[in-house]
Amino acid sequence: MDGASRIVAGLEAGGVTLAAAVPDTWIGALTAAARRSPRLRVVDAAREEEAVAIACGAALAGGRGAALMQNAGLLNCGGVLASLVELYRIPCVLVVSCRGDWRDPVYYHAPKGRVTEATLAAWRLPWIHADRTGDLTAQVRRCVDFAVESRGAFVLLISGEDLA
Amino acid sequence: MTPRRAYLDALVAHLGPGDVLVSGLGANARWLPHLPVRVPVFALCDAMGAAIPLALGVALTRPGRRVVALEGDGALLMSPNVLATVAAARPANLTCVLWANGRYESSGGQPLPDAPVDWVALARAAGIAHAERIGDAPGLGAALARLRTVRTPALLVLDVLFDPAEEIPPYSERPEEIRARFRL
Repeated sequence: MDGASRIVAGLEAGGVTLAAAVPDTWIGALTAAARRSPRLRVVDAAREEEAVAIACGAALAGGRGAALMQNAGLLNCGGVLASLVELYRIPCVLVVSCRGDWRDPVYYHAPKGRVTEATLAAWRLPWIHADRTGDLTAQVRRCVDFAVESRGAFVLLISGEDLA
Repeated sequence: MTPRRAYLDALVAHLGPGDVLVSGLGANARWLPHLPVRVPVFALCDAMGAAIPLALGVALTRPGRRVVALEGDGALLMSPNVLATVAAARPANLTCVLWANGRYESSGGQPLPDAPVDWVALARAAGIAHAERIGDAPGLGAALARLRTVRTPALLVLDVLFDPAEEIPPYSERPEEIRARFRL
């Protein structure tokens, strides 16, 4: 099973019912794997703030929601994370392609990579980097469980290598 | 031009069992706790522009419930992309009601950018085929009744009077109270 399928299996194991996605090259591969799941409804969102709100709507309605996006999109989401997810204490797991870190040699992603972790810290959001050498499915499930139990956001940062 | 309360009264009167209401921030969210609303309500006090995507997530998760989203034209102007997202998702049970008064009412009534945005045309261009402009409260009631049998997403654009003297009540419920009470 490839990494994208293992991440999707983790979302399924965590009871996620809806994944709202804005693609980049990596998230596109993950979204394609999610579309093959009979247990996930994939919603194509035009913008990342929408994806977060759509996932929150699923949670409010009794399902579980995830938002899939690039870190450029995550950086757009400070407002909705503060004023919707945190203010109303809604579980929301975000799977975020972390472009521009040391594994990503594309020069124009580097500025985003430099500020992603610092931004997550400033926003006081719990997050981890995926570890593809371990049980990726279990990691993703724990991210979902954390979001549900804490009634808030949890951010899983992934790289292109994690999807292979 | 029709005042807000007339539309709100018509809205409340035409909500039925099984309906769900999601309200964007501002005057509508502040009025709703004072009205005899008999359906679950999730009202925002911030999160500008989140009402329609939030309602979309509810609608897709609960296809057996009709979800009515209330949003202001200032909020939608900030994120009109959601019209395409709704069109693509094709929820059969989502009705969006856009309150168009050309003002950022909750922040003091400042005017929106002075552009003649045609919301009905914009919604149709984005793929929401059922979009119509409403000019009075009976028209809103009739549209809500008619849309019960329409199995596509819809946008109703209300021409709302901007009344600087309207005595809008303050927010009277805290987010945790709204969240706790919202059960489907």
